Amino acid sequence: MATETTLESLQAALDAQQAVFNMHQAMNVEVFYWWCTAIMVMIHAGFLAYEMGASRSKNALAAGVKNILALAVIIPTFYLFGWWIYNAFPAGIIPAEASGALPWSTSMGPDVQDMGSGIFWAAFALFGATTGSILSGAVIERIRVSAFLILAILLGSAIWILAGAWGWHPDGWMLTKFGYHDVGASGVVHAIAGFFTLGVLINLGPRVGKYVNGVAQQIKAHNLPMTLIGLMMIIFGFFGFLGGCIIFNGGDTGWTTIYNTPTNLSAFAFNTLMGFAGGVIGCYIATRDPFWTMSGGLVGIISVAAGLDLYDPGLAFIIAICMSFVAVGSAKFLEKMGIDDAVGAVGVHGITGFIAVILVGVFAGGTPNVGGNPDITLYGQTVCAIVIAILGFVPGYLVSLVLKKLDMLRVPANVEDLGLDEVEILAHPYPETVPSSTAKS
Amino acid sequence: MGTSITTWENVSAYFTFADSPMALVLFSIGVAGIVVGLIGSIMKHEKEAFKNHK
Repeated sequence: MATETTLESLQAALDAQQAVFNMHQAMNVEVFYWWCTAIMVMIHAGFLAYEMGASRSKNALAAGVKNILALAVIIPTFYLFGWWIYNAFPAGIIPAEASGALPWSTSMGPDVQDMGSGIFWAAFALFGATTGSILSGAVIERIRVSAFLILAILLGSAIWILAGAWGWHPDGWMLTKFGYHDVGASGVVHAIAGFFTLGVLINLGPRVGKYVNGVAQQIKAHNLPMTLIGLMMIIFGFFGFLGGCIIFNGGDTGWTTIYNTPTNLSAFAFNTLMGFAGGVIGCYIATRDPFWTMSGGLVGIISVAAGLDLYDPGLAFIIAICMSFVAVGSAKFLEKMGIDDAVGAVGVHGITGFIAVILVGVFAGGTPNVGGNPDITLYGQTVCAIVIAILGFVPGYLVSLVLKKLDMLRVPANVEDLGLDEVEILAHPYPETVPSSTAKS
Repeated sequence: MGTSITTWENVSAYFTFADSPMALVLFSIGVAGIVVGLIGSIMKHEKEAFKNHK
């Protein structure tokens, strides 16, 4: 009798300890993604500084306000329909039942039994905001804020997350049919945003003065140091972004990729840093230009992000260096073709992300997936990269074309000449420099 | 000891109007309306600003 009592009390104590462990593990998951999301906000602080610095002083505040508003409209629209798109469309374009992700579901609010939905929604909302910021930099100094916000909502709360449903969801068709592998979102965030941006830039046209007799001119950033600092802030934010790409599992599983294959933060750390370093070195060698040298950090990380869990760090370094030349070369090519991408976003995010997806097939083809999904293949990665490029480009091009036809896309030429801050923004970025004849009050 | 709070007042989803689906739909419509209204107001501001600087 006494022995039974002892065993029962031990079991009760063990159960109590297990419950405490489970609760704290669930809290740890929340804490991890909470801070990933917070760190991701630094991406937007970085884009803010970067875009304002890259603009001429007459457009600096307009570039900043545009960027801030993008974040502010993508968050509520991602709440309204972005999260539902992710949960409803893994199989393609026919929506599955996902009423729990609709904004009027009780799952989309405080719930004492749900320590996952809110924090994952937040991380994904910030991923979406990143796509909006990628677009934002390329179109500075001549797009209408209203048109930009429409495009940013489309990209940040619908298009990228549809790609996310296809290539980043455990049931996504690109994974189940092609074994798609893109753990750090080279494709589903960067490539899709880059190609969407390309579609918009074609309709938006270059800034006044960018081309003289068909020859591209350099429009200088008004504050290059701020741009460099902004880019470094984005690199900092990338650690939150990439942390948010890994799955912190409960139980005894530990870390996995979003595809449930084993990995850990150490793998991500090796290749993120080696990619960053390779990108900086590559872009420095390719250009000797400060802006591109710092942008190289982005190129490097994006170029290896899809295979962060699989690459040898030395290989990641070499990939990043090589992709730096590709990113710079593609930006120069686009410039020659009359595409005025003010910050090189199509090359840095679009082309680099696209090739990064394919490179996983080149270097890690044959790596198995779990759950009966096909192995990673060069064929599968290439097909999916093409799908992503089309999914990004077509809506960006078509919607911006409609806006252009309605005369809603671009500011008038005289406004572009005067500067957007003077016309639209009720403040001056550097009031002491405004000539007294034009200064107000 | 060892138990987390999994319900509060006998429900798990405990927030304002959680028991009123119609209210949640109306709030969602309100959020959508505000975003659309913001873009509309920006369009109006742009139109006026551009007109003032012709």
